[in-house]
Amino acid sequence: MPALELDSLTKTFDETRAADRVSLSVPRGSWTGLVGPNGAGKTTSLSMAVGLLRPDSGTARVLGVDVWAEPVEAKRRLGVLPDGLSLPERLTGGELLDYWGRLRGLDRDLTRDRSEEMLRILELDRAERNGTLIAEYSTGMRKKIGLATALLHTPEVLVLDEPYEAVDPVSARVLTAILRRYTDGGGTVIISSHVMALVERITDRVAIIADGRVLADGPLDLVRGDDPALEDTFVRLVGAREVGEGDLAWLGF
Amino acid sequence: MVGVLIRLESTLGRHGVSGTRGGTLALLVGGAALTWYVTVVASSAEVRSQLLMLLGAVWAGAWILGPTITNGVGVLRPQYFTLLPLERSQVGTGLWATAFVGVGPALTLVAMASTARHAWLSEPATLSLGLLGMLLSVVFMVSLSRLVFRALGAAMHTRVGMEIASVQWGLIVAGLFFGWAAIGPALSAAGDLAERGFPAPVVTVLAALPTSWPIAAVDAAASGAWGAAFGLLGAFTLLTAATVLATVRLLAPRVNARGRGRRSRPLGRRRSTRRLPLLPDGPLGAVVGKELRSWWRDPWRALELRSALYAGLFIGLFGLMADRPWITLSAGVFTALVMAMGGSNMYGHDGSALWLTVVGQGRDTVRADVRGRQIAIALLIVPGTLLLGLVSVLVSGEPGASPYVLAGLLVVLGVGNGLSVLLSVVAATPGVEPHLRVDANDTGDTRVQVWTSLIAIPPLSSPTIVVALLAGGWWAVPVALVNGAAGAWLLGRLAHRRLAARLPETFARIRYGGRVAERSLPRSGGDPLDLLERTALSTNEDTRPTGS
Repeated sequence: MPALELDSLTKTFDETRAADRVSLSVPRGSWTGLVGPNGAGKTTSLSMAVGLLRPDSGTARVLGVDVWAEPVEAKRRLGVLPDGLSLPERLTGGELLDYWGRLRGLDRDLTRDRSEEMLRILELDRAERNGTLIAEYSTGMRKKIGLATALLHTPEVLVLDEPYEAVDPVSARVLTAILRRYTDGGGTVIISSHVMALVERITDRVAIIADGRVLADGPLDLVRGDDPALEDTFVRLVGAREVGEGDLAWLGF
Repeated sequence: MVGVLIRLESTLGRHGVSGTRGGTLALLVGGAALTWYVTVVASSAEVRSQLLMLLGAVWAGAWILGPTITNGVGVLRPQYFTLLPLERSQVGTGLWATAFVGVGPALTLVAMASTARHAWLSEPATLSLGLLGMLLSVVFMVSLSRLVFRALGAAMHTRVGMEIASVQWGLIVAGLFFGWAAIGPALSAAGDLAERGFPAPVVTVLAALPTSWPIAAVDAAASGAWGAAFGLLGAFTLLTAATVLATVRLLAPRVNARGRGRRSRPLGRRRSTRRLPLLPDGPLGAVVGKELRSWWRDPWRALELRSALYAGLFIGLFGLMADRPWITLSAGVFTALVMAMGGSNMYGHDGSALWLTVVGQGRDTVRADVRGRQIAIALLIVPGTLLLGLVSVLVSGEPGASPYVLAGLLVVLGVGNGLSVLLSVVAATPGVEPHLRVDANDTGDTRVQVWTSLIAIPPLSSPTIVVALLAGGWWAVPVALVNGAAGAWLLGRLAHRRLAARLPETFARIRYGGRVAERSLPRSGGDPLDLLERTALSTNEDTRPTGS
């Protein structure tokens, strides 16, 4: 049984088809990268997969549990980090994790131990000691506290939308190490990104999505085939706009 | 650059929703027509001058309150232009100039032209003074409007500023309601005004208002006192110039970092533990704790809470000053009523943070989210309203009214609490995302919630009202207790059931805006809550997508 299964997810906004029968199967214990140009439908597809956006048709299953038919059961197994959304801005990071632990029904001491450890590893402990509110966090710090909320209840499947965006290189290494630990322990990760090199370096599976459709999906080596780099595969499938000889001639001194 | 900004503003305006524009336009046209009508019907130059002074004050008042009450201003935010290689004062000047584009300033100019007509009718030689006065009045009012709006926004960055803004809001809200109480006597006197003008003390107060100075200048010149006329108009010119300068300064982009103002630890935070004592474990305790902290720390939430308290306080004071005990006695009930409206867009207020409730959905979490919010509001507002009620009984010298006050408080607190959380779910309207907010009304449009509260609270409280009228105050107290508790419980139940059934749809309303949300509702028919949600979608304006 796949850890996460997107089954013909379709969504139309106004006249635009943001996701067109998106189907994807993510095996247990794998680390999958969902790549695509801006506006390809990555966020829309993932939102439908985790219960944030009701699809026009199709559904998603987490370890066989239908997200739209049994949301409570499915969401218990899921950890989610959406991109660019608000948080309870007037709490500190620690207070947010405390709220989240209680809401998820975790034991008081367990929540405290886990959140203290996570704040320390994600280097948010100093902000916590200073009583820094989330409203005052930088974009990278917001990503990190978001990741902590996604992990707190040890979900079996993690869905992370652009987790590396705005995260500094040192923190990015920590983040990768955390996620590696998690997949080694049997967890499943799916991340979206438009940075090919990153996806190529850290994931073992990849799905390429453009114009709301999945163009390729499978183990990294298979998708890449004979192309020297994933970026070439991507450009081959999605197409690229070339800058012609005469274009932008004014960009020079 | 001014031309570019004006085009940008009109482009942005075209993409906006124009739900209220019709109403505003009707008010403006009506106001301009009334102003001209007055110059026709006034029996003498003296009466005409008095009436114009009054209308001038009303126009200025409308300019000051309008943008804050509606969501019209601030389409172009100063922060959009921070990165352009322009002097900050240039941006400020440009933004100030865009304020004069549109129907509002144009119709104000039409209305103020009545000053020129007044001058022409009084003494043709004073026409030039009248024309100058007309132009200055428009510049003064439009600039003052932006100044007040921006100052209120700037105030939201500090606690003291928030407190001042709360007092202002409280005064505005109390004034709006007290105005209704005063409207009866005013209407009965209106017939005489055109004939005989105002009594002397009113004239003295009116003449002292800056907006009256251009008219007073015309009057002085018409009577031959040209020195006084130039003095008055000169003073008004200086005042207008000062207002313009201050406005340009405030409209210039500010570059200080967010959150720099806070020196102390956040309220409700203990050094050793992250937990608020006495809160139970589990989802309900989680939500109550989060909500209490948010109400304490978020200036925009604190503004709702504190302006409700101030509004009650001012209503009490107005009642005392006007010697109307029944108005004084309604202070506590009034606070509860205003708070019911202030808490009626909590999910819009939280913005896209609702995602946590969606992905964290457990067996009981949605109910806990709604009930937790109700409990937090009750904990915050009940002590203050009870105190206001008690004090109002003491100072009004009407001890016999105490059961009525108590019954009123119990029922409005309960029904209002339930109604605000239900409206928060059904009519959720997004504002600027919480971490990007600048202005005092960035939290989302609540027009539908306010009107629904005003219309729905009396019938929902009718059992208490009927018993109070038929059987007397003490019989009404237990009825009010049951009425209030049942209201809070049942409306809260409706709210969490609706939210649980439409959790992703409510999130979509906030995340993707009205047009996406519309598609999840039946086009016509459905239950009353569907109807209410459709009304909110078509009436409340989205302030999306972001702030500055």
